[in-house]
Amino acid sequence: MNKSSIGICAVFLALSSLAAAAGAVFCQDQFLFSPGHESITVAFRQFSSLIVGDWQHYGRLFITWQPALFRQIFFWTIVSLPLVFLLHYLSIGPKSFSHQKGEVFYFGVFSRIVHWIAAVFFSLLVLTGLTMVFGKLFGGGAFVRSARYIHIISALIFAVDAPIMFLIWVKDMLPMPYDLKWFLIMGGYLSRAKRPVPAGRFNAGQKIWFWLSTLGGGFMAWTGYQMFSFDVQTEALRFAAIVHNFLGAALAGFFIIHLYMSLFAIKGSLQSMLTGYKSLEEVEILHSRYKAG
Amino acid sequence: MARMKFLCDVERCIDCNGCVIACKEGNNVPVGVNRRRVITINEGRPGERSVSISCMHCSDAPCIAVCPVKAIYQREDGIVLVNKDICIGCGYCFMACPFGAPQFPSGQVFGARGAMDKCTFCAGGPAETFSEKERKLYGQNRIAEGKPPLCAAMCSTKALLAGDADVISDIFRKRAFQRGSGAGAWGWDKAYGGK
Repeated sequence: MNKSSIGICAVFLALSSLAAAAGAVFCQDQFLFSPGHESITVAFRQFSSLIVGDWQHYGRLFITWQPALFRQIFFWTIVSLPLVFLLHYLSIGPKSFSHQKGEVFYFGVFSRIVHWIAAVFFSLLVLTGLTMVFGKLFGGGAFVRSARYIHIISALIFAVDAPIMFLIWVKDMLPMPYDLKWFLIMGGYLSRAKRPVPAGRFNAGQKIWFWLSTLGGGFMAWTGYQMFSFDVQTEALRFAAIVHNFLGAALAGFFIIHLYMSLFAIKGSLQSMLTGYKSLEEVEILHSRYKAG
Repeated sequence: MARMKFLCDVERCIDCNGCVIACKEGNNVPVGVNRRRVITINEGRPGERSVSISCMHCSDAPCIAVCPVKAIYQREDGIVLVNKDICIGCGYCFMACPFGAPQFPSGQVFGARGAMDKCTFCAGGPAETFSEKERKLYGQNRIAEGKPPLCAAMCSTKALLAGDADVISDIFRKRAFQRGSGAGAWGWDKAYGGK
């Protein structure tokens, strides 16, 4: 080895040690956090937040309630209410009013059409919804799948119809002080006597049904759209499914109440929604605060 | 009977996505559906690691619990399968799954989801074994042929292990012992919970 090569070696060594020193200063982070230093626990936590996410929140709640609770709530809603109403029909009985005293024009033709469109597609929504909730009983497959498609189509039509219904009736559906009295006597349905009941154009029960089916229906449409499109975070999806089930059970319950009241409990109620006329006696008793015109 | 499980060794996975492609190509998977996916953390930085995820075939699987039509069931060897003739595509299984495994092809009536599709552990489906229907709806039935799932068989670094839980955890234990690190399998506590 001659002198010149020793010199080159010395310069090379000097330069490389300088570079290493500079590297150590500027890239300290890189040396401290080399792959070997990254703990596997930290990595697993990162994987969990990316893959599992917030599952612990609503995911856990959803798998706690969906296997049994939701179905039980729906079951008891559609079994207990008809039973209670059967007892009511047998013990207290329906109310019927004479049309001799005259008739009051109650529902305009437009509101009747809007009502019946809502009625048809809301019935479909309830029936197909229940079909899906109790899908096991039908064995799933094409029948329950068709129910799901009908549910979606009916929802689209109801979502257009319900806002119109809302605008037609919202003025008469605002809460009034006498609505509390209506609740205290349960709308007079617990007695056979024909005493005037404190209610305007619509009684307090009808008002709840109205707000639940329009505003609640809006929430159903919103959560339902999320469940249909999957266009949101999984966490929001789980929340939507939970809300949709609880609210759905409440709506199914009030739907049954509405059916009983209109078809059985008050004779002639169905005709009034077909012809638009209510008996004057009925209006004086069940809607005593109503001023026509 | 052997209990089938997946195990992804994150110290070995190199994010090549071979498992994803193998599964998709070999199983007649619907368009827009990936039964398996690779998640990478700290990409391009120190501490980069990847894990390959699909259905874990959980013990006490939440998807089975929430299915409103009982379309999902578990075989005796732990493999969780869906019956596409029964599935109504409601998506509850997707909401219940911690791993995001259930997938749905789109483009059915009114853009509604079709029947759920997910990893079958390459064990086909409820249709007759090796039938055309099974191949079309669920993909290959390699388990019935005595072969491991495509993804694990294809894995170039053997990061992804699939098969009898006792055997694969034994392999993993030996590896962890030899290299002195990585003594845990991501997802096992969630999916199998000691079972």
